[in-house]
Amino acid sequence: MSASNMTPADAPAAGGLLAPADLTPGRRTWRAFSRNPLGMISAAIILLMVAVAIAAPLLAKFPSGYGRDILMPPSGAHPFGTDDLGRDVLAQVIWGTRISMIIAFASSLLAILIGVALGVLAAYARKLDGIVSTLVDVSLALPVLPLMILVAALIGPSVTTLVMVIALFSWPEVTRIVRSQALSVTRLPYVDAARTIGGSHFWIMTRHILPAVAPIIVVSVVLTASRAVLSEAGLSFLGLGDPESWSWGKILFNAQRSGALTVAWWCTLFPSLAILLLVVSATLVSIAYNDARNPKTRET
Amino acid sequence: MHLTGYFLQRLLRGLVTFWFAVTVTFFLVRLLPGDPVSAVASPSMTEEIRQRQLEVYGLDRPLLAQYFAYLGQLVQGNLGISFLSSQPVSKILLERLPWTLLLTGTALIVTVLLGIPLGVLAATRARGWVDQIVQVSGVIGQSLFVPSIGIFLLYTLGLLAGWFPIGGAVKSDLTGFARIASIAHHLVLPCLTLVMAQLASYVLTLRATLIEALGEEYCDLARAKGTPENKVIWKHALRNALLPTTTLIGLQIGFLVGGAVLTETIYAYPGVGRAIFEAVGQLDFPVLQGAFVLLAATVVLANLATDLAYGLLDPRVRAG
Repeated sequence: MSASNMTPADAPAAGGLLAPADLTPGRRTWRAFSRNPLGMISAAIILLMVAVAIAAPLLAKFPSGYGRDILMPPSGAHPFGTDDLGRDVLAQVIWGTRISMIIAFASSLLAILIGVALGVLAAYARKLDGIVSTLVDVSLALPVLPLMILVAALIGPSVTTLVMVIALFSWPEVTRIVRSQALSVTRLPYVDAARTIGGSHFWIMTRHILPAVAPIIVVSVVLTASRAVLSEAGLSFLGLGDPESWSWGKILFNAQRSGALTVAWWCTLFPSLAILLLVVSATLVSIAYNDARNPKTRET
Repeated sequence: MHLTGYFLQRLLRGLVTFWFAVTVTFFLVRLLPGDPVSAVASPSMTEEIRQRQLEVYGLDRPLLAQYFAYLGQLVQGNLGISFLSSQPVSKILLERLPWTLLLTGTALIVTVLLGIPLGVLAATRARGWVDQIVQVSGVIGQSLFVPSIGIFLLYTLGLLAGWFPIGGAVKSDLTGFARIASIAHHLVLPCLTLVMAQLASYVLTLRATLIEALGEEYCDLARAKGTPENKVIWKHALRNALLPTTTLIGLQIGFLVGGAVLTETIYAYPGVGRAIFEAVGQLDFPVLQGAFVLLAATVVLANLATDLAYGLLDPRVRAG
């Protein structure tokens, strides 16, 4: 508090005592974030899962074919047990991490690109605002999962299909958040000033409005990705997953289809835990980031 | 007077939403790769049979003509013919809709009935340990994957404890009270799954709005007049805090319907959601399209109902 009340002339005199005043906002946020144990643990869990996704081929053999040990409970040889065809569940979860992560990352990236572009455009170009806002309201009011199911079934299941379908129905949420944030910025005098000196619309939108909504975008990326994990798992659980690869939802689908879920709790518990761990971590990271960025909740 | 205007505006919005849903799905189904022509007519058919197949399903006409014909049929409640069973889609789905409405309706009521006291509990003990527990379980609750909850309940309460049936909606050849009891018994686990999936959102929203309401001046005034704190909470603050919760119902209904598709799949519950799962396996596009249109209509109607409730509850809307 005291640091922000000082005039710039006083700040150097205070020396090392009030170091936060010298820091850029980004570093100040990081300082606050790194002091939040829950946020740091969650970030570590996400990084660990990314590492597992990347190193999947080193950690386990791609689960395929048939094994002799059918529906074995967790043991030393198979820490997560085996499924109805004798395939190692741990290997399925590891390879599933890869596909679930790829789909979450790619679809949220795509949804963010569309969502941010339309959100900023709607806030800046008032003529387009009506159309974009109506489109967003209408899309958010519809039951998304049945629509995703229809489209995914029409195109035919594959990783690309899942990415496209999830992105196609996830951007309205991003647009809604970005638009409302950008709306408050476009009314600020500095945007008028940028226009007065003859800046192009594109320059104003990308260099002046976009940076102001950037923190919201960071939070959106994390939340959209975690929702994409759930969407992918939902579609795969209904049998719309990529037939060639493993994902957490597909492990559950196999357990449901084969009836293994009534006899082998390990077939469903571990992929469920993986989904829960990732989504909870993503939520906690975004909460911690929001707290760290907000001077009111930041403790230093 | 103002309420009528407000409601008409909401009605118009609902109609636009429904029209959008119908139009988007129509063109998606016709333009995407797995188009209906290849589903009803294969290249191996002779040209004559192929042509007749296309005529039967009206697929030989121009796209826009098909679109208007589709809208016309829709108004009359016709959703097309199932590729697989050759029965009208509307007949197949309307037989199943009551089960989905029963499941989602019960889940919604139970969620609100549980959410209000839990939200009040957390808000009135803000920053205490009860609140901490509510907040942590809230974050976890919002991150739960619906099939995971369903499978967990099925395994623990259904299989291990054996308290509830794990599949279907009613035991056949029962009548009267026994039938109703059987329906309720079968409803417990799917309903509980959906309650667990959405309870957190309601509790957290109510907690936040109630904390805000309790800090308002009208609550200070009530306390200054000597109103007991319990009455301040339940009679003064809660009434205002419930308004955003009403909005949340509208926002969550789409999610609830999606959750019902997943839940019905796990419990083989004979609703529209299970029909979707079965249609996915057999690529029965008319059923998938019809199910979405039907669910979209349900969601739009439910949203209208919450809008109307909101208008009646909030005097600011009534007065305009």
